[in-house]
Amino acid sequence: MGGGEKLVKVEICAGSHCSLVGALNILETLEELQTEYPGQIQIEKVECMDMCDDIKNAPVIRVDDDLITSAQTQMVISKVMERIK
Amino acid sequence: MSKLKGVYTDIVKIRRMVFAELARLALKNTECEEFDKIPYRIIDTEEATYRSSIFKERAIVAARVRMGLGMNYETNQEHKLLSEGIRNFLKNDNQLKEPLVNVIRFACEKCPTNAHFVTDNCRKCLAHPCSIVCPVDAITIEEHAAVIDQEKCINCGKCKEACPYEAIVNYERPCAAACGVDAIENDEYNRAKINHDKCVSCGQCIIACPFGAIADKSMIFQLLKSIENGEDVRAIIAPSFVGQFGPLVSAGKIVAALKKLGIKEVREVSLGADFASLHEAELFAEDIPEKQSYLGTSCCPSWTYVAEKHVPEVKDNISESSSPMIFAAQSVKENSQNSKVVFIGPCVSKKLEALSARVKDEVDYVITFEELAAIFVAADIELTKIDAEEEMTDASYYGRAYANAGGVAEAIRQNLNEKYLLDPPVIKADGLAECKKTLIKAKAGILDGYLVEGMACEGGCVGGPGTLLATNRGAKYVNKFAEESPYKFAFENDKLGLEKNS
Repeated sequence: MGGGEKLVKVEICAGSHCSLVGALNILETLEELQTEYPGQIQIEKVECMDMCDDIKNAPVIRVDDDLITSAQTQMVISKVMERIK
Repeated sequence: MSKLKGVYTDIVKIRRMVFAELARLALKNTECEEFDKIPYRIIDTEEATYRSSIFKERAIVAARVRMGLGMNYETNQEHKLLSEGIRNFLKNDNQLKEPLVNVIRFACEKCPTNAHFVTDNCRKCLAHPCSIVCPVDAITIEEHAAVIDQEKCINCGKCKEACPYEAIVNYERPCAAACGVDAIENDEYNRAKINHDKCVSCGQCIIACPFGAIADKSMIFQLLKSIENGEDVRAIIAPSFVGQFGPLVSAGKIVAALKKLGIKEVREVSLGADFASLHEAELFAEDIPEKQSYLGTSCCPSWTYVAEKHVPEVKDNISESSSPMIFAAQSVKENSQNSKVVFIGPCVSKKLEALSARVKDEVDYVITFEELAAIFVAADIELTKIDAEEEMTDASYYGRAYANAGGVAEAIRQNLNEKYLLDPPVIKADGLAECKKTLIKAKAGILDGYLVEGMACEGGCVGGPGTLLATNRGAKYVNKFAEESPYKFAFENDKLGLEKNS
């Protein structure tokens, strides 16, 4: 690991709504990415963030301070990659 | 395995939204007219997103609603209002009937059937090995590229292998490619048509169709109405359940959530697996090879349907023993006679098993993990905010490992090793096509003396169409949960009520 590499923190909601609409699959892709970039991505699975009154907001994911609602794998991955590079 | 297994797509999203809507309407007393609104709630855009027209998108959702309620797929040629049909259905017998897996005919995009095509990669090269290796002289080199005469082509694939530019592709219908028993044919309009004489209801085509044109029926509505009506509903949950509801949701929390939903008791189907593995070990020890040449396992219904429909000569060698589902259901009903039992699992064909004359009094409802996840959302049960942690200690290590390919045979083999000092040869058929091949071998007498395991879904039950997790992930959770079991072998399981003398 070279110095100065940034650690990207990803919070992924593991609640009922988010898990139903794709959070599990996003998590899977993120964990694969994590093994490709060891030490650079920190993944935290969190309890329901109470933002899914409307199920259309799910899945909810936070990349550093950026909140993403209706998250899709590709959106999340590119957000994370932006910060790694 | 279909490339779409474990991938979250808009098809998956729409399927789950329909389940959640059905659950939502089941949980509140509602007029049938409310069902007419579901297509508009799910497809709420002004213009079409996925198909040629928004009306078609909504009509497909309506077809999913019908089947989600357990109703038959309707003809395209008659005017039928969704709510009217539903009112009649709910008033009458309200029961799911065969066929279980259906093509939504107007959603099928008529993919070309199995054929080899030349793509733009073709350089019209001098060597053109494609035409040289073709055994039926189907390839000619035309003005711009090689051309395959589809009338002559026998789909041997030799040209595809020979091309240095990877210019030849084999184009298969994804649904038909996923079907290990060749049950998908064409109708007169070239749409996919399921031949129900061949179909074993494994449900893999549902996952494989990239246009979302295949669906099965569900019992979500019937189950929830039964709970709402105050019936004593008890659940048995299949061993592949761990991890399916998210990484923070332990087995104990899933049990607590089910109780919150109004289910009185939850048992592991693995308890039934312990019964089944002991019973099948006993059958093997007594009958093989003297009375019977080999023994096929009993737990996968699609595997037994392959035997019935495709290799009927071997049917008698598939264990007559009940499946773990039946044993588990019986253990619940022994203690509470008036209860209704719901089987919760990864499996589509269990829905059919539960309709059979032998099982219909034991198991009242079958739902999938995916359907249950939608029910939790509709019932506003937030799994990560459940504090209770119910204990689960129903089954042995080997009983819990039934959900992975190879797990069933291994459990039986361990019992044979430990209790009967036998170590028979074992063969494991993983996936529907393998199941059929293996049974054909068995018929030829090649597997005499064997213990033969069959799992229609690749990877075992964790690869079932009703799961939410990718197959390999599910398998890891299953192994971990198996290791937490209080017993190693089925015969050590106190809950089976066996005499402790073996």
